[in-house]
Amino acid sequence: MPAVELRGVRKRFDALEVLRGIDLSVAKGEAFALLGPNGAGKTTLIRIIATLLRQDSGEVRVAGYDVREDAREVKRRIGVVSHNPFLYDELTARENLEFYARAYGVEVARAEEMLERINLAEREDDLVATFSRGMKQRLSIARALLHSPEVLLLDEPTTGLDLRSRQNFYALLEELRSSGVTLLLTTHHLDEAERLCSRGAVLHYGKVVAEGALSELKRSMESLEEAYLRITGEGNGA
Amino acid sequence: MGLKAVLNLTAKDVRAELRTKHTINFMLLFSGLAVIFFSRIAGSYVVSAPEIGAGLLWLVFLFTGMLGLGRAFVKEKELGTLDGLKLTPMSSEEILAGKAMYNLALMLGIQSIIFPIFLVFFDFPVKGSLLLAFGVLTLGNLSFVVISSALSTLVLNARARELLLPVILLPVLFPVIVTSVSALNRVLVDGEGFLNILGEIKIISTYAVVMSVIAMLTFDFALEE
Repeated sequence: MPAVELRGVRKRFDALEVLRGIDLSVAKGEAFALLGPNGAGKTTLIRIIATLLRQDSGEVRVAGYDVREDAREVKRRIGVVSHNPFLYDELTARENLEFYARAYGVEVARAEEMLERINLAEREDDLVATFSRGMKQRLSIARALLHSPEVLLLDEPTTGLDLRSRQNFYALLEELRSSGVTLLLTTHHLDEAERLCSRGAVLHYGKVVAEGALSELKRSMESLEEAYLRITGEGNGA
Repeated sequence: MGLKAVLNLTAKDVRAELRTKHTINFMLLFSGLAVIFFSRIAGSYVVSAPEIGAGLLWLVFLFTGMLGLGRAFVKEKELGTLDGLKLTPMSSEEILAGKAMYNLALMLGIQSIIFPIFLVFFDFPVKGSLLLAFGVLTLGNLSFVVISSALSTLVLNARARELLLPVILLPVLFPVIVTSVSALNRVLVDGEGFLNILGEIKIISTYAVVMSVIAMLTFDFALEE
């Protein structure tokens, strides 16, 4: 059974059709990259998989559960990390994780465990407002992993991170990938996709225009970047 | 989950508010000033405090509530943490109840401070039970909180949400305010007991229950983008 499966997913915002029949399948334990220019529909797709948005038509399943019919079961099986860390600035790192641990119905002790894992135990009693963007993003990963999800949805998670924070973030994701967590990553950074994912799809104007192993996508070309620009038409003098 | 999830959300909001005091400070300041101004104005025109006192007190709660109660959801929306809440397995009913309980805690805090100040500044000749009067106010505020929490979610995605909320809130609250003022007057001014105001209590309670059910039924829709 695929970790994430999409069949004919369509979504419209007023007159604009953002997703125009998306078919995708991400295997369990796979790291899958969703590439595409701004406005391609990547974030909309992630929000639908995360149960935050309802598709107009089509079917979306996570670990076999339908996102519309079994949203609660889906939520127990996914973790979401986006450019917004979903953290409360006026609470400490520990208080944030304890709140989410209770909300997910897991042991509060798990918060301490996660703080150790992301090397923020020493700052556990500091307000999140005092944290750097990189630290907030690490804490956001801890929040997303509190309930040991099978699938981690990453929506441009490194936006605004400096090089060092990004490298630390990659190391954390690589650790997760090797522990068998399914990763579904949207990104603008093609090097990020190449580093973390083995397979991917390019989304353009709400349609999948290319899909497969990243090595295959760039096989006939010098780099994945060149392939991406050719597929999305962004290299034509834009 | 149920009650544990609700209390977890309420406790999170109370803890954050106690740390920053952003909302409660403004609500207290506003309500205190309003009571003082109203008492001076009433005194200047030699209006009998018992005749208008209960109505003015409710006006203070109404304006104070409109100032702060909508913030519980709006703040989560503005900070983007509402998505974080929606991603947890908490049901929408649990989220609404948690926010309503936080709003109730805010209003009860304000009520506990403002009610005695009101009695002093208006030099109110209390004839009935103060405890019963406090209970009537609490019940009225409970309805107010349920209704305002629910309606604040309906305007979450509107651009001028802070302006829109009072406009749709006032007509919906009208029956609760009128009934609460009547019950409060009968207790404070006429010295009537619990059994005499049972009719008003039933009306306010029923209204709160009906609005809670409507809020629960529409909350999923209100949270959708």
